[in-house]
Parts: sequence; C-alpha cells; structure tokens
Amino acid sequence: MNSDNQSSRPRGSALGWWVLGGSALGVVALGLLASSILERREEAVVGRLTIKQPVGEWESDNSKWGVNFPREYNTWLATEKMDGETKYGGNVERDHLANNPKLVVMWAGYAFAKGYNAPRGHMHAIDDVKNTPRRNDKTPATCWTCKSPDVPRVMARDGVKEYYAEKFDHYVQDVTNPIGCADCHDEKTMALQISRPALKEALTRQGKDIAKLTHQEMRSLVCAQCHVEYYFKGKKEQYLTFPWDKGMTAENMEEYYAESGHVDWTHAISGAKMIKMQHPDYEVFSQGVHAARGVSCADCHMPYKQEGGVKFSDHQIQSPLLNIENSCQVCHKWSEKDIKDRVYSMQAKHHEVMDAAEVAITNLHLSIGEAAQKGATEEQLAKPRELVSKAQMYWDYISANNGFGFHAPQESVRVLSKALNIASEGRLVLAGVRTKLGLAAVASTPDIGTKEKAQAYIKPYVDAQNAKKKAEEAKAAAEEQQKKQVKNAPKMKTISR
Amino acid sequence: MACFVSLGVLLGSGIYVARISRAGSYLSDDPTTCINCHVMKPYYASWQHSSHARVATCNDCHVPHDTTLNKYLFKAKDGMRHSTIFTLRKEPQVLRATEEAKHVIQGNCVRCHTELVSELNGINVHGGDRSCVDCHRETPHGRASSLSSAPNTLTPGLPRTGFDSFKNPESTEKSR
Repeated sequence: MNSDNQSSRPRGSALGWWVLGGSALGVVALGLLASSILERREEAVVGRLTIKQPVGEWESDNSKWGVNFPREYNTWLATEKMDGETKYGGNVERDHLANNPKLVVMWAGYAFAKGYNAPRGHMHAIDDVKNTPRRNDKTPATCWTCKSPDVPRVMARDGVKEYYAEKFDHYVQDVTNPIGCADCHDEKTMALQISRPALKEALTRQGKDIAKLTHQEMRSLVCAQCHVEYYFKGKKEQYLTFPWDKGMTAENMEEYYAESGHVDWTHAISGAKMIKMQHPDYEVFSQGVHAARGVSCADCHMPYKQEGGVKFSDHQIQSPLLNIENSCQVCHKWSEKDIKDRVYSMQAKHHEVMDAAEVAITNLHLSIGEAAQKGATEEQLAKPRELVSKAQMYWDYISANNGFGFHAPQESVRVLSKALNIASEGRLVLAGVRTKLGLAAVASTPDIGTKEKAQAYIKPYVDAQNAKKKAEEAKAAAEEQQKKQVKNAPKMKTISR
Repeated sequence: MACFVSLGVLLGSGIYVARISRAGSYLSDDPTTCINCHVMKPYYASWQHSSHARVATCNDCHVPHDTTLNKYLFKAKDGMRHSTIFTLRKEPQVLRATEEAKHVIQGNCVRCHTELVSELNGINVHGGDRSCVDCHRETPHGRASSLSSAPNTLTPGLPRTGFDSFKNPESTEKSR
C-alpha cells in the first residue's frame, strides 16, 4: 500500500509538469496570437504619413526621398529586377536586332542598326543610355533628358536651350541618378508634376492649360514626359520637341513631319528620306479602350497596394502581365490564366501583321537599292522612296511601342495594315520601273538571317554613304573657308589704313 | 495546485484573446464582425452604400442558409481560412470568391429573388455555367475590387475591446 502511494506521487507530479509545460506553450502561443491581433487592429487606425526629413529643392538623390516614403522607395528599387519575362516583353534585356534581323536593313544608315535592346527597368536608365552602341561623341545632351531627375536641376542651372545644345559627354559628371522621385513629384507637396519642358510646351501649343489638369490625367502625363514620340529640332539646337501640333495619330504626325520638313536620316540602301518614331506609348494608349474608360498609365503599371493598413501605389513600374492580380483583376474578374491568354492572343495577332509589314518594307528598300544601282533615275525612284519612307513611319509608330499592340489593339493593327498597304503600293510602282530596267519585279532577299549577317550586308552601303557625307562636308568646309578669306580681305585693308 | 495555477493562466490568456479578437461576434450575423479585420473595410463600405445594405447582411449572401448546421460549418471553415491567411499576412490585394463561395452566393441570390428568377424560363439559375453576378457584376460591391479601392472610407471603426493601447477615433461606440 505504501509502495503504491509512493509510486502514485511521482506520477502525479509528472502530470503536473506536463500541465505546466503545456500551459506555458499555450500561453506563449496565445500571447503571440494576441500581439498579432492587437498589431493588426492598430493598423486599421494608425499608419498615417509622417515626413521625417523634408526634401530639398532639385533633390535628385532618390534615397533622400526614400527616407520619408519607404514603401514607394522600396518598390521603386525593385525596378532593378530582371526576373520577369513575358511572351513579348518583361523586364529582361532582349536584343531586338538578333531576334528580328530585318530591322538592321530597315534602319540601314541609322544608329538603330547598330544596337536596339528591349528596355529594362527605370533603375537601369543611366547605365543603358551610356552603354548603347548608338551613342558617340557627337551625341547631344538631349539624350539625357529622360534618364534622370538630375536633368531638371541641370536645366535650371544652365538654361533649357543651352542644355539641349550641349554634348552628351558634357554632363556625364552631373547626371548620375536613375529615373526617380523628382521626375514626377513636387518635392514640397509630393503632388504629381511635369518636370520636363517638352511636354509642357507640346500641351501649351495644343492650347491646354497645364494648371487645370486633373490628378487622373497627371497619372498618365507624368509618363508622357518620356513615353512619347519626339524629335530633336534643329541641327545645332537639338531642341527636344513632340510632334503633337496636329494631333497624336500616325496620320497627324505624318502631316506634321511633312510640313516641318524634318528628316532623321537618309536610308543607306534605298536612299529614302526617313523618319524614326520613338515609342509613342502615350499617343497609342490614348486611342485604346482603357483610355476611353478613363484608366491611367499608373492604374495598371503602378497599381495601388495595401501593406500594413497603408494604401500606396506600387512604384515597381513594370509590365502588368507580371502583376496581373493587382493590375487587371481589380476590374476584370477572370482568372490570371484567362487574362494572360487573352492578352497574348491579341499580341500574337498584332505581331503577325507587323511581321508582314516588315517583310514588305525590307524588300522595298532592297528593291529600290538594286534599281538605283542598275541605273534607275532619281525621278523614277522618287515615288517608291516616298512610299517606303511613309510605310516605315507608320510601321514604326506601332512597332516602337512598348505595349506590343495591347495599348490600342484595333488602332495598332489598323496602322500596321496601312503600312503594309503603302509598302505594297510602293512595290507595285517600283515593279514598273524595274521591269523597264530588265530586272525582276522585286529584289531577291539576301541572307540576312542573323543580326551579324544583316549588319555585314548593310556595311558596304553604310560605308559608301559615310564616305559621300564626309566628302560633301569637306567640300562645304573648303567653300566656307574661301568665302571667309574673300570677306576678310577688304577688312584687313581698312585696318591697315 | 500547480496544475490549477497553470490552467488558470492558460484560461486567462484564452479569455483575453477571445475578448480582443471579439470571438463571440463570430457567432452573430452582425456585419461589423467582418471588419474586425481591416482588409474587409472596402468590401464593407461598398456593401454599406449598396441597396442590398437595407435588406441583407454579409451572412445573408456569404454563408449557406439551407440548414443551421451547414451555416455554422461553412462559417467555421471559411472563418478559419480567413483568419489564418490574415494572421500570416498572406492576404491577396484583390479578394475573389472561391468556387465554393460562388456556389453559396448564387444560391443566396436565388433564395431571395425566387419570384424573379422563376420567370427566367430555361435558364439554369441554380448553377450551370452562368451566375447572376456574371451580368450584375456591380452588385453589390461595385466594379473595382481591391484592398485599396476604398481604404479610408467611412466605415464603423473597430469596436472597443478595452485593451487597445492606441486611440481609436473610429470606434463604433462613438458612432461616426
């Protein structure tokens, strides 16, 4: 009996220890849960913005803004990522010329034939503009304009005109911070602002009052400071200008350039006077259904997000296809897969028409080039050259876009079809000329299957064009020199008197 | 004795957690229960401003009403899922009904609008591949769905628990 009592006692105390241990664990678990509940309750009430360190005027160092806006800043930092590839885009670097060597022929004689990559995130802006093979020691400072919040500061310091007229290399020390806070925000009120003169000037010429723009309009216009078609006006001035005076469609721009007489380059093979379009994302988007419904760029590319009870806009500006949930699904309730499939099917159709236009335009350049070599007159080639230039301008208005057709599907395919149609018309007109010269109706396509082959193919044409240009420049310089001497001669006489 | 003390501490903690989490409210049909977690605020707000707010609570649409047992089983299951996701901070930015929830919602549309749908001859109103909200897609939560769609909207604040360290200007008891 005694032994029974003794053995039951330790058993009882063991149970006691178990209860103690179990309770302790339970209390810890409940405590953690309690603190989590209280923390999340607090989120619902607090979490208002506090400015820790006021931002100075012209502050271009993005981290100084980041102190006050950690969520925006951290998501902005993520534009450095190169981890998301979509079917046609994403944030990875793609070599467009390698993927589509026809482009090399289409841009023969222009720097784009040397290198043309898909854009990476905003964080890479400075590196990418410095490293592109399109840049040389003659590149104007204008090319910095969209790459950094340092630019408005430098413009304020040196003057806008003076800045554009400078060389790119002049500002390498000044411009160091990649596209960031000050490009779109007022440093005092944090309101959205247009920091670049080109957009302000274009809107003013259109008769728009910048002071009356709504916040929702601004959520697209801050992007339109750069994601637009532009050109550098004046050989010396290199003044950044948007060709928007007639409107923003491809036809409006064709009319604008025809009137202004601006030419970007002369095609090395066909000799056509060419216009290069640069990513008219805003213009094309404006013609799509999302713009018609009042959706802004930021709605899809910088969707709102909630973290710890605080709403903010995601500053990891990227393809919405890499963030379908927050961008598309806010309004479209279909599954991610359905949405993605839908977009890809639009873009695939878009590429089909685009490819057909490229084949026709490339062939027209080659056919004109061959006809010129075989003795066709300037007069005979005038119409085909005009048509190839026009076709390529229309094609480029769409091809240079970052939305790959999505921003305005019908308009994109319409303009591409127009480009294809114009190129076909050019080939018809040229066929008559070529037949008279005893040539086949169209030139046979050389082997331009890779970027290297295509670049090797255009090289003799480009070299010949450069040599001709140099000779002309030397001749012009000699004539100038002569004129000066004639002018100076009587002056010296008067002095000697 | 030590056992009793330990269990007492555990019980006390349990009571405390039950109080701050407003555990009791989950047995009710009170819509403010759903905004115990702030992620539901935009959805509460859109409901509150809809015509449905006059006649239907959250539970009228979002839990089944065929049997009381089913109602509480579904509530328990869905509630556990919600609270787990919320506690782990894994909530998505855009809330969408699960397949099971869609089925429940569709059943509840029909439950109240029996007279209306009975006139829609030939349409399979109890399921099939179409549901009421495919067309009535703004009913009742509006077109845009996101945790950020109405973050600072005027919804009743957190009901007081008596244990919060922060000031709670939005508390229902103050009624805003």
